[in-house]
This record gives sequence, C-alpha cells and structure tokens, in this order.
Amino acid sequence: MLRYIIRRVILLGPLLIGITLVSWAAIQLAPGSGNYFQSLVLQYPQISPSTISALRAQFGMDQPPWIQYLRWLWSIVHLNFGLSFAYNVPVTWLIGSRAANTLLLSVTSMVVAWSVALPLGIYSAVHQYSVTDGLLNTAAFVAISIPSFFSALLLLYGAYWTRLLPLQGLTSVDFDFLPWWGKILDIARHLVLPTIALGLFSVGGLMRYMRNYLLEVLRADFVKTARAKGLAERVVIYRHAVRNAINPLVTLFGFELGGLLSGAAFVENVLGYPGLGRLILEALLKKDVFVVMGTLLIGSVLLVLGNLVADILLAYVDPRIRYD
Amino acid sequence: MRMRAAALICLLGAVLLLTPQLGAAPPHPSLPGLPDPKVMVGEIGQYGGTFLDSQVSDPRTFNPVLAQETTSTGPLGYLFEGLVEDNGQTTETEPALAESWTTSKDGRTWTFVLRQGLRWNDGQPVTADDVLFTFQVVYDPRIPNSESDVLRVAGKPIQVAKVDARTVRFTTAEPFGPFLRVIGVPIIPRHKLEAAYNAGRFNQTWGLNTPPRELVGTGPYAMTEYKNAQRMVFVRNPHYWKVDTAGHRLPYIDRVVLTIVPDQDAHRLLFQAGQTDSYGVRPREYAEFKRGEKAGNYTVYDGGPSFGSQFLVFNQNPHSGLPAYKLKWFQTQKFRQAVAYAVDRQAIINQVFAGHAIPEYGPESPADKFFYNPRVMQYPYDLDKAARVLAEAGFKKGADGVLRDADGHPVQFVISTNSDNKDRVAIANIIRQDLTKLGMQVTLAPESFNTLVNKLVESFRWEAMVLGLTGGVDPHNGQNVWKSSGSLHMWYPKQPKPATPWEAQIDRYFNLAATTVDQNRRRAYYNQYQEIVAEQVPLIYTAIPNAYVAVRNKFGNIKFTAFGGAFWNFPVVFIKR
Repeated sequence: MLRYIIRRVILLGPLLIGITLVSWAAIQLAPGSGNYFQSLVLQYPQISPSTISALRAQFGMDQPPWIQYLRWLWSIVHLNFGLSFAYNVPVTWLIGSRAANTLLLSVTSMVVAWSVALPLGIYSAVHQYSVTDGLLNTAAFVAISIPSFFSALLLLYGAYWTRLLPLQGLTSVDFDFLPWWGKILDIARHLVLPTIALGLFSVGGLMRYMRNYLLEVLRADFVKTARAKGLAERVVIYRHAVRNAINPLVTLFGFELGGLLSGAAFVENVLGYPGLGRLILEALLKKDVFVVMGTLLIGSVLLVLGNLVADILLAYVDPRIRYD
Repeated sequence: MRMRAAALICLLGAVLLLTPQLGAAPPHPSLPGLPDPKVMVGEIGQYGGTFLDSQVSDPRTFNPVLAQETTSTGPLGYLFEGLVEDNGQTTETEPALAESWTTSKDGRTWTFVLRQGLRWNDGQPVTADDVLFTFQVVYDPRIPNSESDVLRVAGKPIQVAKVDARTVRFTTAEPFGPFLRVIGVPIIPRHKLEAAYNAGRFNQTWGLNTPPRELVGTGPYAMTEYKNAQRMVFVRNPHYWKVDTAGHRLPYIDRVVLTIVPDQDAHRLLFQAGQTDSYGVRPREYAEFKRGEKAGNYTVYDGGPSFGSQFLVFNQNPHSGLPAYKLKWFQTQKFRQAVAYAVDRQAIINQVFAGHAIPEYGPESPADKFFYNPRVMQYPYDLDKAARVLAEAGFKKGADGVLRDADGHPVQFVISTNSDNKDRVAIANIIRQDLTKLGMQVTLAPESFNTLVNKLVESFRWEAMVLGLTGGVDPHNGQNVWKSSGSLHMWYPKQPKPATPWEAQIDRYFNLAATTVDQNRRRAYYNQYQEIVAEQVPLIYTAIPNAYVAVRNKFGNIKFTAFGGAFWNFPVVFIKR
C-alpha cells in the first residue's frame, strides 16, 4: 500500500507539468486572444499605448509565450505563483484570502448533501416503485435540472420575503464586535442559503446514484442467499447490500474532494459569498493569466490527491481491492 | 465655468468659498490649527450614524496612483484628495487641498498655495514635498499609470517646483486649457511611501494585502477594515479640513460601510430590505422604484441625462482587410448619414431605457453644461429620407428588395457588440431591423468583450460595432478617440496623418482647445468639433439614458447630479434624527 502511494505521488510531478502545459496553451489559444492589458484602452480612453506596453512589460508579458511559460514554471518551483495583473498582489495572497471561505462552504454543502442523499437513496431503492420512491425521484430530477444559480436566486427572494436569513455575504457588518459564539452563529446563518443552493444540486444526483447501485446489488445472488439464510432485512440491506453498493460512490467522493477549492462562481455571485469561484471566473474573463493558472494548478493537485484518497478509501471499504 | 480666468484671479487672496447668493459673508469659520478650512454649503446637520453603501466588486488596489477603475477610485475617494476638486453641482473646479492659485500672463505657470494646517490622518503635516513626491511618482516611467498620460502637455510632463513649504509652482511646455481639470490628482504621503518608492517597490505598495490602517490620506475618512470580497469599513478622520457654515468640523457621518455585492439583483433586494442606503436605479426600473418610495422610505432622484453614450460605428480602416467596395461604403458620408436617419431612437428609448432617455446626435452629452453644443445636425428617424440619401450615393434597391451599390455589390455586413451588455444587444437589434427595411442584409454578432477589444485595437477585422463610452466634462479627455492619431479613434486608429480633411479639422480644433486657456474660446473650438462629428457621423449616436439614484430619506443635504452622483458633497451629508 505504502509503495503504491509513493508511486502515485511521484507520478504527480509529470502529470502536473502536463496539466500546466495544456492549460497554458488553452489560455493562449482561447478565441479573442485580446489580453488583459489590451482591453484597458476601452475602459480608460485616456490611457496611452506606451503605458499599456509598459504595464505589459512589468508583468513579463512582452516575451514570447513559451518564455512566459518557462518563467512561470520556474517561479512555481519556488512556490511563487506570480502577481495578478488586475490586483498587482501575489496570486497566493488572493487565493489565500478566499480559500478558507470556499473550503468552509464546500465542506458544509458536501456534508449536508451526502448525509441527506444517501439515506434517501437507500430508502427509495428499498421501496422501489412505491409512491414515496416516485416522489423522491421526481424531486431528484427537478433538483438536477435547476441550475444552482437559479435556485440561489429563488432562495434569495425567499429570504427577502421572510426576512429570516441574511441575503448576502459571509459575515454581518458588526461581525468584529460579536462575542465568539455570536461569530459562529453569524457565519452559520450566512451559510444556510449557499449550502442549500449548492447542496440541492448534488443531493439529486447522489440520491439517484445511491438508488441505482443499491438496486443493482439487491438483485445479486448473494442478497438472495442472505435472505434465504433468514437474515433480518435490516442486516441484509445495511451490512451486505449497502456496503457493496457504496464502492462507486467512494470514487465519486474522491472527485468531489478535488472540487473542494474550485468554488461555485454563480452561486457565489448571486449570494455575494466571498469564495474562490468568483475570483476564478473574473480572472478567466479578464485573462488575468497567473490567477487562472494558479487556481488551475491548485485544483489539479486537489483532484489528483482526491483520487488518491478515493483509491485508498476504496481499498479500506472493500477488502477485495489490493494495489500491491 | 463662465469667466474662468477672471474668477481665478479674484480667488487669489480670497479665503472663503461661498456661493454669491449668500450675499454678505458671515465671519469666516476657523478651527484651532486650521485657520482657513474649506466651508461646505448646506443645512447645519448632526453628527453620527453609519452610511451603508455597496459596490459591485473589490477594488483592484489601494494605491491612488495606480487606481483606474471606479471600484478602486470610489472607495479611495474617501481617503485621498487633490489640490483642486470638481463641484458636483456646478461642475466647476474649486480649491481643495490648495486654498488658492494664480496663473501667469502667458498661461504656462500656475502657482498653488496649500491650505494652512493640513494634516494627514495620522497627524503628520501636509507639505509641498508631498505634492512634489506625488508628481515625481506619477511621471516615473517605471510606474505605468494613466494619470501620467493625462498630465502631458504637448507630449511633455508638467514641471513641478517647490517655492516654499506651502507653495508649489507648475510650468507647462505650452499654455494648457484643461489644466485645472487634470491637476487634481490624489496627493500621497511622502513619509509613508518614499521608502517603498526608493526601493523600487512602489507598484506593489498599498495593494489589497495592506493593513487598512497603513493607508494614510487627507480625506474625510480613514479605512479601518477590509475583508476581501466582503466589505470595507471607514471611520471619520478627526483632522479633516472642511467645515460647515457654522464652523463645525466635517464630516458629519461617523462610519461608512461599503459592502461588495457582485450581483445586481441581489443589490436591489438588499436596498429594498433596508440593508443599504442607496441604489443606482436603472432606467427600466424607474417606474417600479418610484412606486415603492413611500413604503421603502426613500426618494428616487432624477439627475437628467448622464454622461454615457451608445453608438454604432463603421470600420473605415484601410488596413482592416475589408474588401475595397465595403470600405468605400463605410467611408461614404452619405452612407453613414442614411444609416443615422434609419436609427429609430424613440424605439431605443422606449424599449431599452423604458422611456427614460433622450435622443443623441452629437459626441457630448447635455449633462456637460459648459461644452455641450445643442446646435448640431440631427437625424430624426425617417426611412424614406434614409432611402433618398442612399440613392444620392448611388445605392439602388432592386426588385428582389436587396440594396446594391453602384457596382452591384449587395449591401451586407456584420454588427458586432459585446454579449454581456444587454442594452447594446437590444440597440443593435433595433438598428438591424430598420436597416433590413432599407434592403441591407445585416447580421448581428454578440461576442465576448475581450474579442471585441482585440478586433478594435489590434486585428481591425470588423465591419460595424455597437459600443459605448463614458464621457466627462472636458472634451479634452476624449482626444484619444477624436484625434486621428488616437489609439481609440475606432474607425481608423493611429493614422500617421489625417486620412480625411474633416479629421484634420477635428485634430486642429482639439490641439487649439488644448493650448488655449480662455475657456470661452475653448468652448468655441469644441463647438466646431461637435458640429463636424455630427455632420460626418463616424459614430452614429443613439440615446443617452437618464441617471437615477434611490437614497433613503434619513439623509440631509442630498444634492444629486448626473455629474457628481448623490454623494459628491458627502462631508456635509448627515443623518436626520
């Protein structure tokens, strides 16, 4: 097992270099290669071309693309992600200022989604074709089809009419004057809407996965055997069926770990949540290259690590899986 | 703005700035250590309270020299000020950190005297050295900033010299008409920034990662908190240099909280829920907001026409790779005039701006009280007239309903615009429908903003575009658009020499107006340019929306204008109790 992990971590290096190369090329080749500095002229008509080229040179953008790329790669090795064009501050600071918020939201919505979806999925599989199963499935399809920014908008109007929950952000205006428990309560209140908006979408999907995998297992011979042995239905389902049905979901869990820091730009925008998604989207639209590359790199590392964690978990939950 | 030069000389030695209507000046207020504070006119208010405002995104920097976009300059406006400032109501330039100034006879030398007893918000005195330092930084080639482009006269920097601790002398290479409009750059504290500047780190100084207390300015507020992507908090600067007419030190309001709200719908709900105090009402929301005034305890103020413009432009650039016959259409004045007659401005006003806009025919907005020229050629909507003008230029509509030029090429082209701007897409659609009636085959191509900019300033491969620009008071700021050498001279940028006689004329008037100090003569020059532009229609203007803002009724001394906004006189704005 340990050898397997070490091998995976070593392979991470070339994989990441490949990822950076591909994403750099994608940014360079994106349609309308009009870069960040070029678009300044329309926003500030008084700016002169020489000022624009000076700005470009300040960030090393006057060099050919492959030199820019090598320079960037070299500084990454020194854990320097470069400066943002738009903000003129280190990319690491920008990401750092939002990473914790995004992590908080991702974790809460993941916990909520999984703890709601799995029981529902199991229930509807066990009660296949019942009325509740039908209702749950319809609800799941609705949840999958509503884009999360739209459900965020609906929730926002709901919060506006009921005046029960804050409409925007992560903290209240007088947050700094609250006692420690007040701070926790304040953040919790602010987290409700984004958590629901993000969680709703994944609940639908996860529930359907859980239901399908479980149904498949319930048809298997060993379940019949277990029932024939006279085991209690509870034991059949929870000890035998669910444990076997959970494998594909563990892989899925690994993927979700990879998305922990990628944020959810649209929900964040609507609900004014100070997360990474907004930053990434804005950087992408403005071609703030180093911010885009930095977040891509972090996202990729997390995705690869998430998969690794999933593989290890898989070996843990399913004794049949061995890597050595 | 009238009689500018005379007014300036009168101001020499004057210590008070009161509107003439007040008649005999009351004994002028002074404060200990601040003998000549600036008096802001308004009702006497009360101290205290919090102003809750919001903006659409984070600032990009806290460094006032590097700040360009309103999301940065807006919040920094609470912290930093220039030698002069614009009056939001009269649009005139008034003394700010400088209490007075004089001009030499040849109009090339300007001498500014700083107000006595000015202090930074950390208590240090403001001196001529700070002004010198500011201009040294602005003109440093290692520090790219757009101020340095604006502050160039005949391509040369303005010379800045210290006369004594409170007096600074500026010398321009030639007489410079817009001098007072450009000289109000925010002054920065030498004692805080010189070390970073000398170490070559100025470009990274006072970024968003700076502790807010480090930001030392002269403005009415100091920043105490910044939470990235959440909010900025400002508190009253106890050293501020403005007073009300009774001599109380301003500002009245204790605290300003600026929340970052990226989504417009959310922003609206936040205002309606009472969690912000002001909201920029879009024209199409006007009726709805007007209805909610009483229930929401706010007032919708009407500032009249704004400075924004939306227009259609044709590519006349010979280096654009367009086929010669297309280029010929776009370069034909009659073709552009015909299109101008075919623009249904009333439909645009009704459908895009819900009736809250005015038709626009020239390059300056009536919001510009001084330089706007109402007597330019107008193109009221008239498709028959458009067809006649096209016929005069040799275009014929065939039996198949297709318009063809004299050589038989069918008239077809693509109008591009940026897809994220719904107003522009709607305007382009309305224009397209009418041009189709004339027999033109017009395709609409909404594209990403970056793509559009790239076409406009680099590849030049486009045919027509619907775009918009925001203007200011002095037309000089638009020289990058109007002079034939300008990089934003959209229809044919960076011309080595003017391609047409009328472009040469506009160049001449812009140069004359820039080097003339007499404001009335400058106005005459800019009147000429507006007439030429309306006649030649390189940009076919559509409509100017009105500026509206909704502000809670609890505030006193609100004097909303399209130019200054609702809070241009923020220090005297107070919360009623």
